Amino acid sequence: MALDLKKFEARFVEEARDHITRLGDGLDALTHGPSDSENINCIFRSAHTIKGSSRMLKLIPITDTAHHLEDVLGALRDGSLAYSPELGRLLYRGVDGLSALVERLAEGGELPAADVSLCNALAQAAKGESISVQPKISGNSFSSPDIPDILGAQVSDINSMPDLPAPNVESKLKTPDTVRVKMNKLDELIKLMGEVISSHARSRQRLIDIRDIERMDFGAASAAGNASSKLKACLHRFALTLREDVLAQELLMNELHSKALIMRMLPLSIVFEPVGRMVRELADSVGKDVECIVSGSEIELDRQLIDKLSDPVLHLLRNAVDHGIEEPNVRQTAGKLERGRITLSARQDGGWVVIEISDNGGGIPIETVREKAVRKGFLTEEKAAALDEHEVVELIFLPGFSTSPIITDISGRGVGMDVVKRCIVDDLQGVVSVENHPGAGTCFALRLPLSLAMMRVLLVEICGIPFGFSAQYVTELLRIPQSEMLIVAERQVVIIRNEFVPVVTLEDMLHIPPQHVRSPQQRKNHEGLLLLVVRVGNDKLALVVDDLLDEHDMVIKPLPEHMRRLTMVSGMVTTGKNELVDILHVPVLLEMARNARSGALVHRETTAAGGAPLRVLVVDDSLNTREIEKDVLEAHGYLVTLAEDGLDGLRKAQQGDFDAVLTDVEMPNMDGFTLTERLRLDDKYRDKPIIIITSRAKEEDKRRGIQVGADAYIVKGDFDQSNLVDILRNLLG
Amino acid sequence: MQILVVDDDSLACEMTAAVVESVGHDVLLAENAVDAMEKLSAAPGIAMVISDMNMPLVSGIDLFRELRSQGVKLPFILLTGDNPDGLLQEEPTLDGCMTKDFSIEETLPQMIADVMARYAANSGAY
Repeated sequence: MALDLKKFEARFVEEARDHITRLGDGLDALTHGPSDSENINCIFRSAHTIKGSSRMLKLIPITDTAHHLEDVLGALRDGSLAYSPELGRLLYRGVDGLSALVERLAEGGELPAADVSLCNALAQAAKGESISVQPKISGNSFSSPDIPDILGAQVSDINSMPDLPAPNVESKLKTPDTVRVKMNKLDELIKLMGEVISSHARSRQRLIDIRDIERMDFGAASAAGNASSKLKACLHRFALTLREDVLAQELLMNELHSKALIMRMLPLSIVFEPVGRMVRELADSVGKDVECIVSGSEIELDRQLIDKLSDPVLHLLRNAVDHGIEEPNVRQTAGKLERGRITLSARQDGGWVVIEISDNGGGIPIETVREKAVRKGFLTEEKAAALDEHEVVELIFLPGFSTSPIITDISGRGVGMDVVKRCIVDDLQGVVSVENHPGAGTCFALRLPLSLAMMRVLLVEICGIPFGFSAQYVTELLRIPQSEMLIVAERQVVIIRNEFVPVVTLEDMLHIPPQHVRSPQQRKNHEGLLLLVVRVGNDKLALVVDDLLDEHDMVIKPLPEHMRRLTMVSGMVTTGKNELVDILHVPVLLEMARNARSGALVHRETTAAGGAPLRVLVVDDSLNTREIEKDVLEAHGYLVTLAEDGLDGLRKAQQGDFDAVLTDVEMPNMDGFTLTERLRLDDKYRDKPIIIITSRAKEEDKRRGIQVGADAYIVKGDFDQSNLVDILRNLLG
Repeated sequence: MQILVVDDDSLACEMTAAVVESVGHDVLLAENAVDAMEKLSAAPGIAMVISDMNMPLVSGIDLFRELRSQGVKLPFILLTGDNPDGLLQEEPTLDGCMTKDFSIEETLPQMIADVMARYAANSGAY
């Protein structure tokens, strides 16, 4: 016969488990209230049902066990048998035996024969024969030594059955809510998930295709009348259905994506937890007293990142202990607590996780680093002298650089900061930045994406070639009229919300061959310029692109081995049209833009009238604006010092002696108006030129600027380097 | 032919139904005697009842007796988890009584055919 009842086995297992649970619960209730007939009825029915359906499925051992159990319960039900604790134990054994058989079936194993001793004991109990076989069960007290022996023998019989898993009460109590899965299996799954989502991009493309077909003019065919309009209607319906399907699928896949990724997320505590002890031990070994404060270890990251994160974090911590925190006597002299402090913290920042390793030690000794770089032959003395503080700090990331005068066991050997940087930037698609406070400590910040498996990617077009950017670097996309582009210090900038942002044309930067470059007429089709603004830390760059093509979550695939040296490309994605698109690596682009900038600018050594170079203090909270103003002024021979807000500016102005001050208005801590006011109170600056540069163009702001004592008020929109330099020259005489 | 299968164990009920369907009959399911009575009055096309014996409140044999007392003369096969002989002794007018076991695949269709043949012969005799 064609019918196969075997296919009901899975359902049987499910239902039998329910009944077994009910049996267990019922037996519990029985021990408390042996006379509850409704309860006895209920467990009788469960045993009966298991017997019935197992018999139909020819699961004889289960049928037999359930049958004997049912008989005992039946006898209990009709009152021919009285409940006793001994009987209760036997019934529990029966249910456990049943459960073991059902679980064996669930695992797909061959069922062993029913436990004969258990069945016999049940059969005897049902007939009330237990009294004759084991005369002491009902007659004597529970403490009788014979009974436990007899029951014990039954228990060990069950346990010694070679094919039957021993009924284990313990394992039933803690039903596992986790499953161990091999890492590589999970990786495969997530990789596959990525592929599925990539291939879904192709479905989206098909949707666009069908829309295009729909819009096609059927020309002569349309004259054919009915048939053609019917076809069109069909096509339209098809397109609509397809759209719904694609959208529905997209929802599901997005959920699949996030659920799959979560499976591989691990808390940072894996990396952070051992840190406290390790830092104390390291500190002990070098005779320092250091406490370590850890926070944010509950933040979760993709396991891929966690694995690779450990080494760089430990290296930075070692550095902090070894180079950062000073010797106790040095700290004492500096008026600090003898006990140094290292903080390791993590926090989420948009699509990033920021891990900070900071110490309250001596900070990176700028002059020592500068000297050492020269001594090691990394750069010439003149070049080293020209580097500002920030650039000097960047030197520590050069391969082969180590500032410790003696190579100690802890750091300065083997891996260096260059390895840390490579690991974070190249392997983990992250960013490293350093904040150095001489005398007060150093803070290394590692910005990492949450996961490497999938990334939000923006596809843009440049000269007809698509390029990708991972979205966490992109701050905005905006279109500006050509006229808003300014030329400052021989390069193009735009003002975005009170900040100068350098503009770079990607086709120049990437050296796209001229035959690809569209003629200007073609580009004029667009209104103005399309700018993709990217950011790493505080460094911004606006890239001129032709068009935004798409924005989606995509799997970024690594470059093949032979192309790995292309640092500008961090990977590739496949589009719906099955094209390969390069993902441009933003940190490298920023670096290239910076280098191009310093190369293009010839620092004019001609000093202002009088011989000695004039000193100018530039105060602005935007890094980009500061840098650009600095470039402009340095290009004209001024010596520039930068300050990042009003308070910093005031401090630096009081410490130093400047010939002029340039300040922004809106800044944290102290605004430009207040700064100007305060400087005017200082004898040193009563008569020095102070120039306010701001995007506030209102008349009342200008009046306020003059009121507080500024000599000039330049609106950034009208900014023009010659303007600024002319004003300065006029003011300085 | 439309057959009503009555069993409170939904798994057993479906398995029985699968057997009945495999030989080309239509099946209606009821999960207890009360449900069965309702199905019977709602679907006049039912030509046979196959019921489990052991059900809560109203057993299979009680259902049979209730139907007969209401004048419902449909062929009635009783399925049981136990030995059928006792039940047949108790209620000899049952058209069929058999044990639910793995052989149900063969025995049930055979019994259905036998019972129907008997009814056909009887009706022919009248």
